[in-house]
Amino acid sequence: MGLVRLVFFGFIGLSVIYFLISIYSRSVRREKLEDRWGQDNPDGGDPTAREAFIDEGMARYNTGIRPKLILLVYVIPTILVVAIHILTTYY
Amino acid sequence: MRKIKIIFLILLFLIVGGLLHYALPQHDIVRVTSTEVIRTDFTWINRRFYAQADSGGAELVTRDLRLINTEKKLTFLFGFVPRDSTKVMVYRNEDTGWIWPPYFKFDSSDLQAESAAEISVSGTEQWAVMTHYGWRNKYLSIYPNAIGIRSVDGPDVRIIPWFNIFFFVFLVVAFLFLRAVWRQFRERTIDPAMQDMGDSLGSVGDAVAEKRGRFRRWIDTWRS
Repeated sequence: MGLVRLVFFGFIGLSVIYFLISIYSRSVRREKLEDRWGQDNPDGGDPTAREAFIDEGMARYNTGIRPKLILLVYVIPTILVVAIHILTTYY
Repeated sequence: MRKIKIIFLILLFLIVGGLLHYALPQHDIVRVTSTEVIRTDFTWINRRFYAQADSGGAELVTRDLRLINTEKKLTFLFGFVPRDSTKVMVYRNEDTGWIWPPYFKFDSSDLQAESAAEISVSGTEQWAVMTHYGWRNKYLSIYPNAIGIRSVDGPDVRIIPWFNIFFFVFLVVAFLFLRAVWRQFRERTIDPAMQDMGDSLGSVGDAVAEKRGRFRRWIDTWRS
C-alpha cells in the first residue's frame, strides 16, 4: 500500500518538475534563437522570416536529444530510491 | 515590514533546518551495550516521531518497539569535532517503509541482530558506527531511528558524510535552477504582460501611471 502511494505521489511530483524543466528549456532555446536572429539582423529584419527562422529552430529542438534527456527526471529518482533501498536493507 | 521579513526568514530557516536535522542521516560512534524490546503506547504528541509497525504487519494503537542501548562518543558541531567524553544513547529500530523519511528501510529485525552481535563489554570495547536519523527527547520519550551499523577498529574513525554532501550540493543546484526558471518566466511572460498593460493604461492618464508605478515598486520588492 505504501509503495502504491509512493509511486502515485512520486509520479505527480516528478511530472510537475518535468513540465517545469520542459517549459524552461524550450523558453531558453527560443530566447537563444531570437538573440541569434537579432545579431544577424540588427535592424530587426523581416518579421515573417524571423518567425520562420524561430519556428524552424524550435522544430529542430523538438526532434533533438534535449527533450528526451528531460525524461531522466523520472529515471534518476527511481534509480536513487532503489539504490537507497538496497543500501539500507542489504548492507 | 523589514522586521516581519527578518522574523519570517529566521522562522523559515529554523523550520527547514530542524526538518533537515531530523531527517538527514547522521553517524555516531557507539559501543552497543544491549538490545531490547519494549511495549509502547503513543500519544498524539510523540506519535509523529515514530515510524510505523513492521512492514507487512498491522498498525495497532500499541505495539512493541525495538531499542538499541549504546554508549556513544560525544561530538561538537554535528559530529565534525570529536570529544573524549561518552554518554548513553538509546536508538529505536523501526521500519520506515516506503514513506517518510525516505530511507526505504525494511530490515529492522536484521539490524537488531547485527546490533546484538556488536554488543561490547567493558574492558574489551568494540566500537561501531551507527547511522541514524531523528532526535532523542526524554520528555517526549522519542528516540533516533537506527538505519545501519558497521563495526570499526577503534573510536577514532574519520567519517565522511557522503550522502549529506551530495544532498546539500543538490539543494544548492535545485535552488539555482528554480531561480533561473523564475527569472526566465518573469522576463518572458510577466514583464511583457506588464508592458502591454502599461501601454494600454498609458492613455488613461498620469494618475493610473502613478498607480502602476506603485504596483511595479511592489513587484520589485519581491525581486530582492
